[in-house]
Amino acid sequence: MRRAMVASALAVAVAATAGACGGDTAGEGQGAANEIEVLYKVEPTWPHMEKVLKQAKSQYEAANKGVTIKLTPVQGNNEVYYTKLALLNRSADSAPDVYLHDTFQVNADVAAGKLAPLDEYLGSWPDWQSQYADSVKQAAKGPDGKIYGVPISTDTRGLWYQKDVFAKAGLPVPWEPKTWADVLAAARAIKQKVPDAVPFSMYSTKPHGEAATMQGFEMLLYGTPGGTLYDDAQKKWVASGKGINDSLAFINTIYREELGPKQADAFNPKLADKMNLDWFPAGKLGISLDGAWSAASWKETSTKPWPEWTEKMGWTAMPTQNGEEPGAVSMSGGWVMAMSSYAKNKKAAFDFISVVTNKDNTLTYSVGSGDLTPRKDVAADPKYTAGNPSVKFWTDLASVTHYRPAYEVYPKVSAQVQEAMEAMTTGSQTPEQAAKEYADALPGVVGGPDKVISAP
Amino acid sequence: MTVTTATPSRLAGSPRGGEPRRRRGRTLRWLVPLAPALVLLVIFMAGPILWSVYISFTNETLTGAASVNSRFIGVDNFVKMFGDEDFRNSFVLTFVFVIGSAVIGQNTLGLMIALLQRGRGRVTRSVVNGVVVAAWVVPEVVAAACWFAFLSEEGTLNKLLGGFGVSQEWLFTAPMIAVILANVWRGTAFSMLVYSAALSDVPGDLLEAASVDGATTWRRFLHVTLPLIRRSILSNLMLITLQTLAAFGLIYALTGGGPGTASQTTPLYMYEQAFRYFEIGYGSAMALVLLVIGGLFSLVYLRMIKVDA
Repeated sequence: MRRAMVASALAVAVAATAGACGGDTAGEGQGAANEIEVLYKVEPTWPHMEKVLKQAKSQYEAANKGVTIKLTPVQGNNEVYYTKLALLNRSADSAPDVYLHDTFQVNADVAAGKLAPLDEYLGSWPDWQSQYADSVKQAAKGPDGKIYGVPISTDTRGLWYQKDVFAKAGLPVPWEPKTWADVLAAARAIKQKVPDAVPFSMYSTKPHGEAATMQGFEMLLYGTPGGTLYDDAQKKWVASGKGINDSLAFINTIYREELGPKQADAFNPKLADKMNLDWFPAGKLGISLDGAWSAASWKETSTKPWPEWTEKMGWTAMPTQNGEEPGAVSMSGGWVMAMSSYAKNKKAAFDFISVVTNKDNTLTYSVGSGDLTPRKDVAADPKYTAGNPSVKFWTDLASVTHYRPAYEVYPKVSAQVQEAMEAMTTGSQTPEQAAKEYADALPGVVGGPDKVISAP
Repeated sequence: MTVTTATPSRLAGSPRGGEPRRRRGRTLRWLVPLAPALVLLVIFMAGPILWSVYISFTNETLTGAASVNSRFIGVDNFVKMFGDEDFRNSFVLTFVFVIGSAVIGQNTLGLMIALLQRGRGRVTRSVVNGVVVAAWVVPEVVAAACWFAFLSEEGTLNKLLGGFGVSQEWLFTAPMIAVILANVWRGTAFSMLVYSAALSDVPGDLLEAASVDGATTWRRFLHVTLPLIRRSILSNLMLITLQTLAAFGLIYALTGGGPGTASQTTPLYMYEQAFRYFEIGYGSAMALVLLVIGGLFSLVYLRMIKVDA
């Protein structure tokens, strides 16, 4: 009997400890109304957001005594960041109050009710009316028409080329390709005349995640006649069509003719760093299909500055397939500062967002990261364009840019695209086979055969 | 495992009436000290396991509407899985990986090293042990980094082979061989230690008697040593198989499952589905299948090496 009592006493003690643990977290949660937790990503080569948030933290805390900002960095690339954020967001206890959010993930979180609409706060924030263009405001608009994030960056995509490599290959500078064939011709010329350089580099494998889909596939697809992933008129996903086949065929040509990076590099998650920090400065890469932000790798704010870049590098728009109107194509995305629906002190959380996205901080961010700014006053600031002659070009690409159909299922569609691209990279399938596989898989991904159509 | 420890206290002629109470007392004797550990295990192991079994029958995701309103979808995840070519591919690779690196690689190599060490001097043994165990002691990621440095394009192996003109990107031309080798290198120590312990229990006079009877080394091994260490072989195989089935870190850090899906074993595919594409329900369903496979392997071993209880 005595032992039985000991046992039950122990059980009670354990239960009490467990209960106490639970109590602790709850208590911490309640006490945190005066603490705003901010989640963001940081990489050794990408310290820009951290810098801005530290600046914003000290500004905010100086003005608002009693509220502390807790900065929680996630070490790693975008893919790592999305995963970490999704896991933290599963419970109200662990969800950050404010976070840096990729616009293409916004709708999925709106559908799950994880994000708080900002409309009531934006109404009393004068900057929202005066500094953000209407197109920019759409960046984080939910299907319900409410705004779920304040943009901190936007971007456009196009081609970078190395002028030394072009000179050696006997190609004209400035280079203005009018069709895909022009791009391939230049790559072939580089392969022939500059054998130690990678002629053309793009992201085409799963390790690059959304970058492969957007900078790679969509930059091709949206340049084909009528090419799109989603038919806005019919509100259906496009499962097949000539545009998809041709885009895959382009990627296939790049790798089968060995115009692209070697397989090992194509699969290297650090390909972007190799391209921008190593290959371009060393004259070992001819052309890259990338985005406005690449310049950040060469500016003096970078970990490996390359001051000569303004003379050595050229930039031009990605042409449409056969030079169809408007002659060029670009894709745009961007990042917003968003607020969790679990945030306990929403007013303070929004106030902090408005500090992060004010003119000074947005400027610091844009100058550092090379991302295009969503704010009119920053765009007009001479510091924004100083030291980066390419900014005007990238900003002007907004006239031909497209936005992703960032609906809730988009990340899964994107995954299917990456699968097809990877098959082109390794050569495990022909473009037709991969296109067929994409067409077959799509209905299951977007929720049924009635949600897809096929384009001519 | 500890069944035997309870028996000695039992008295031969104890009256029948005292039995139940005594038994309860004995149960309490081990239950009480174990209780805290049991409670913790139930909370932190059984709980998550049961949860993952449950969600493998739902459409649970990590983001999007289904992350808050998941519903029961029966065996849909399993139906999808067996129609999924990538899953089947990962499944085959998992088998190749387990058979190649655990059953053949670690197991035989471990046994061989243990056998060769028998009767060697103290210095030899501590040097060999030190080297082999060192590979086991380093963290998985460090082991992966070492092998990456060895096999990568500008790595040691290519530098060595450079003169013969066979240098290539091993991690891309032969990713499965690379991960199998790395895992053998890292995991052999465990088998070696198990077998060293088992071999030290083989009585020397038995071997001596056999050699007096004219048995060759091979025959002595086959008919004396092997039957005596059968139990150790069984437990070693079981442990390393289960460990290897779930291997993730080494492959993830070395090849990331690539190129393409060429080295994407089921744990990697599971991770990709669950945490890259946020299909946690689907990922859990795969985990469940993997659990069953682990059970099947154990059964096969139990049948193959008949151990009398």
